[in-house]
Amino acid sequence: MTSRGAVGGGLLVLAVWSAAGAESPAVAPLLKQLDLVAYRSGTMPPAFSARTVDAHELSLAELHGRVVVLNFWASWCAECRPEMPVLERLHRSFGSRGLAVVGINAREAPATARRYAHDLGLSFPLVLDQEGKISGLYGVVGLPSTFLIGRDGRAVAFAIGPRDWEGGPALAIIEAMLAETAPHPDSR
Amino acid sequence: MSARKADFKRFEALGIQNLAISANLTFSQQTFAESLKLPFPLLSDFPERRVIRAYGMLNEKTMVANRSFFLIDPQGILRRKWIIENPTTTVVYSDTLLRDIQEILGKR
Repeated sequence: MTSRGAVGGGLLVLAVWSAAGAESPAVAPLLKQLDLVAYRSGTMPPAFSARTVDAHELSLAELHGRVVVLNFWASWCAECRPEMPVLERLHRSFGSRGLAVVGINAREAPATARRYAHDLGLSFPLVLDQEGKISGLYGVVGLPSTFLIGRDGRAVAFAIGPRDWEGGPALAIIEAMLAETAPHPDSR
Repeated sequence: MSARKADFKRFEALGIQNLAISANLTFSQQTFAESLKLPFPLLSDFPERRVIRAYGMLNEKTMVANRSFFLIDPQGILRRKWIIENPTTTVVYSDTLLRDIQEILGKR
């Protein structure tokens, strides 16, 4: 899953790992440029497991070892819509290197979310949250809201409102997070 | 946002420290506070819910707090409480609270 990224850097990867956290001097300015709120080191995002629009079960735990971009959206959310093709491109460009883009649909019917995904040609996993349980766990009251989670499963930063996820700061953050060493499965 | 800040300053002007407490995770509270740009602290009473229960505000069925406000004076004496009867539909306006508080504090 992430072997190329993990092995490719050797000792250098280890150095980048220590520099890729939200509190590091290298990443902190990038988070600020993108107006992201950094989490204190060691913050764990709430676990969840739910169905996707294509009826698969997806849990946050199974994404451990990958960098996760968790985006809360809804079809009625005008500011969410322009982000979706961008997130799709991130998914296609970085998925093989260990990036997992996951959309959490906020309180809509499966058919609505499915139609939206079809219309926009989205292929990354879209989780259904009809009762708003996941939104509640994450404290989401405005859309879009996006959370960045590191390979070690810890929350790095979040954004309230839309961002340029293809811009220089965003790509630099993603690259830095992807450069982290994927943790050993037994190290959870 | 500016209205919320202005309201907050009106509480501050009366020497009041606003604190909000809920049975939510600190993780969700941080998102919530950032989304609304809240200028006062949110306290998490999760998972014990000891404070919420001590104030008699825990809904034991849903394990969440009933919406309510408590006014505590500098001596630590509870001076007033406001319990919201229909929490999902009732909007609590700062004006109402501030008017009552001003009466209690004798400040006009």
